[in-house]
Amino acid sequence: MARDNIFVGLEIGTYKICVAVGESRADGTVKILGVGEAPSRGVRKGEIVNFETAGKCIREALVDAEEKSDVMIGSVYLAVTGSHIEGFNNRGAISIPEDREEICEEDFEEVQANAREVSIPQPNMFVHSILQHYYVDGQDGVLNPIGMLGRRLEADFHIIHGVGNRIKNSVRCVKEVGPEVLDVVFAPLATAQVVLDHNQKGLGALVVDIGGGTTDFIVYTDGAVKLCGCVGLGGDHITNDISLGLSIPMNKAERIKCEDGSAMLGICRPGEMILLKDETGFAGREIERDMLHTIIHCRVREMFEMLRRKLDEAGCAVHLLAAGMMLTGGCSMIHGIRDLAEEIFGIPVHVTHAQAVVGNVSAFENPQFSTAIGLIKYAQAMQPEAPRGVLRRLWKKFPFLGFW
Amino acid sequence: MIELLRPSKAALAVIRVLGIGGAGANALDRLLLDGMSGAELHAVNTDIQSLTASVATGKLQIGRSTTRGLGTGGDPELGYQAAEEGAEELRALLQGASMVFLLVGLGGGTGSGAAPLIANFAREQDALVVVFATLPFHFEGRRRMAQAEEALAALQQQADVVVCFENDRMGEAVSPRAPIHEAFAAADQTISQSVRAVSTLVNQRGLIHLGLDELTRTLRAQNARCIFGFGEASGDNRAHEALARALKSPLMDRGRLLGETASVLVNIAGGEDMTLNEVQILMEELGRHIGDDTRIHFGCAVDPQLGAKMRVTVLSAIDASAQLATAPKPTLAVVDAEPEPVITFVETDEAVTALLPAAELAAELAAQSPAAAAQLARRTEAAAAARAAREAKQEQMQFEPVTRGRFEKSEPTIVDGEDLDVPTFLRRNMKVR
Repeated sequence: MARDNIFVGLEIGTYKICVAVGESRADGTVKILGVGEAPSRGVRKGEIVNFETAGKCIREALVDAEEKSDVMIGSVYLAVTGSHIEGFNNRGAISIPEDREEICEEDFEEVQANAREVSIPQPNMFVHSILQHYYVDGQDGVLNPIGMLGRRLEADFHIIHGVGNRIKNSVRCVKEVGPEVLDVVFAPLATAQVVLDHNQKGLGALVVDIGGGTTDFIVYTDGAVKLCGCVGLGGDHITNDISLGLSIPMNKAERIKCEDGSAMLGICRPGEMILLKDETGFAGREIERDMLHTIIHCRVREMFEMLRRKLDEAGCAVHLLAAGMMLTGGCSMIHGIRDLAEEIFGIPVHVTHAQAVVGNVSAFENPQFSTAIGLIKYAQAMQPEAPRGVLRRLWKKFPFLGFW
Repeated sequence: MIELLRPSKAALAVIRVLGIGGAGANALDRLLLDGMSGAELHAVNTDIQSLTASVATGKLQIGRSTTRGLGTGGDPELGYQAAEEGAEELRALLQGASMVFLLVGLGGGTGSGAAPLIANFAREQDALVVVFATLPFHFEGRRRMAQAEEALAALQQQADVVVCFENDRMGEAVSPRAPIHEAFAAADQTISQSVRAVSTLVNQRGLIHLGLDELTRTLRAQNARCIFGFGEASGDNRAHEALARALKSPLMDRGRLLGETASVLVNIAGGEDMTLNEVQILMEELGRHIGDDTRIHFGCAVDPQLGAKMRVTVLSAIDASAQLATAPKPTLAVVDAEPEPVITFVETDEAVTALLPAAELAAELAAQSPAAAAQLARRTEAAAAARAAREAKQEQMQFEPVTRGRFEKSEPTIVDGEDLDVPTFLRRNMKVR
């Protein structure tokens, strides 16, 4: 059995399944012991569509991680995503009972329950409710009200919810393979824990994780989650576009996307060709590089423009995000994507991977692993014995795990 | 064939190439360095310095008293006066020529001013006049562009064929990081290649011969933007490579523009070992870039000098305004009646006589064209509208069975009523090959 301070993050992606094993250290850092991965099958747009094959792939990834980290995996933190997951902001308010003046811990629970008293669609369940700010007697910007005197306590929460059965399905799939699921975490929330530091969250930042099947995003302002969501578009779509546009098989499309693709136009010579060598079952082809770039550019531009629209509609002033935009996930490795993002969002864009962790450096210096590693950081912050830091204060979870 | 049809212009051997003005002289130098056989090359300029620097064998200074050995300073009026002053010498220079190539950079003084007049002199000698003109870069200013366009219009009146290159497009042809002299060299090289290609095309007797009539017909449209491609290759895959190179030529836009032209002239030349199969491969590949409605003038020649090489020349013109582009179409429809000499590998008298009436008819129609222009325009407008409607419909037909590829069976991602699983380029109706 794993030691108490070892956490495992499991992300079931569309392109691959990723398991990160990390050790929480007393000084608050996380040491990565190993990262296991396996190509994913039976997953589309971040959600499991084939239970059996997905289960097999999860097992492969877990075994790989156990071998690499030399840790028996008994329980995991699971990242969930999918376009059904949504977030909104809501304020809870309670009056402090007449017989006491001091705000105490149970008031906090109460105000959170109050904030949750909103209607969400019937099949949905709450995934997170993340604290943003307190107001004591209307006074703004209170970081920790416990111990303060007041009559009325209000709190803004960011509430994330999704279709219950779909989330439970992911959990069941993992449980059938073996390990216990300690908690489910909305993927961008986990990602943000490792790509943003405390400072950046305070300045305001946008994290965009473009994975295989989905693009997850989260916005931090004033140190709190302001907005998050998921769009069912990702690298798979780019590959699919290339495959359809150039009439080549998916695996070839995937390869030229990674090796020769670019999201920027006008960087190749006119008429420059890419040669696809012939192999068994595939006659060689020459492909116009400019065409490839155009297909990728159209798709990525559309994705970014849609995201930009979403943010604008939600009233998020993108230009005020002082720390800029963090681009991560497998697709952030596409050439030229940073420049395109900068063009569309008009803020500095950084292609980044998990920061603020120690250990096997080469293993986590890959934007594909951001979420899995983020889960460990999340788990560390959630531990009751951990110092009551900013992270701990920022989200308080509803104990919904009793549901299954 | 052409020799028989046009006895007056039978002796095509006498070709004079004149580089007019500074830019013309540069192109001429390039042509000389690339090796142009069977032609006399002359540089004609007002600027004595530029003339001295030229490597051309024949040099003629015009406007001795008008400019006193200096340039025209960008004034076409001075250029015109200079040419008038040098009329006698120019006529003497053009004496006896059956074909005159004028290389000229438009926009400046000497080129824009003198070239139309020189073209006129050449016509007086009953020579065929082919003009290779470059238009200035946009950044050189509107004034220069206006001068160039005026001169171009004048040249189109005088010359049989005007091949027009836009310098702006030459810039596109070289990589953005290429040094400037490379860009200019590329422009000159393109002109040099096309001069040589056109002269061989007209002069060389081929299995399937292409003559000046095809050339003029292809390039006739006014305000035409010339599409020119030239490629040469040897080796096992020479047919494919020669075409690939031709399509990569500047002005070719990777063959993309070929789909929009009314007619395309293709000439294939090869050594004695060129096979029919190779020609077929090449034409099939080219066919993919050409629209179904496009008329192809195909020529083929065997030139032992080429050895193991294969050479392909693609020439076409695309019109800025749609009306003008479609205008020659009815004329072409008449010419369509011409028996396909393309397949007659053996030249027979029947083919020649059969060609004659068709050619005459075409010439007649061309002569009448100003009078019949209004009628033609009306007819072609209607035809163009009908074609546009048909094309629009076709496009819809094409995209109706939306393809979602691997997302066929998954839950669609629909945002603002758009199914985002369908490739973006399909939804945006972008053309992909």
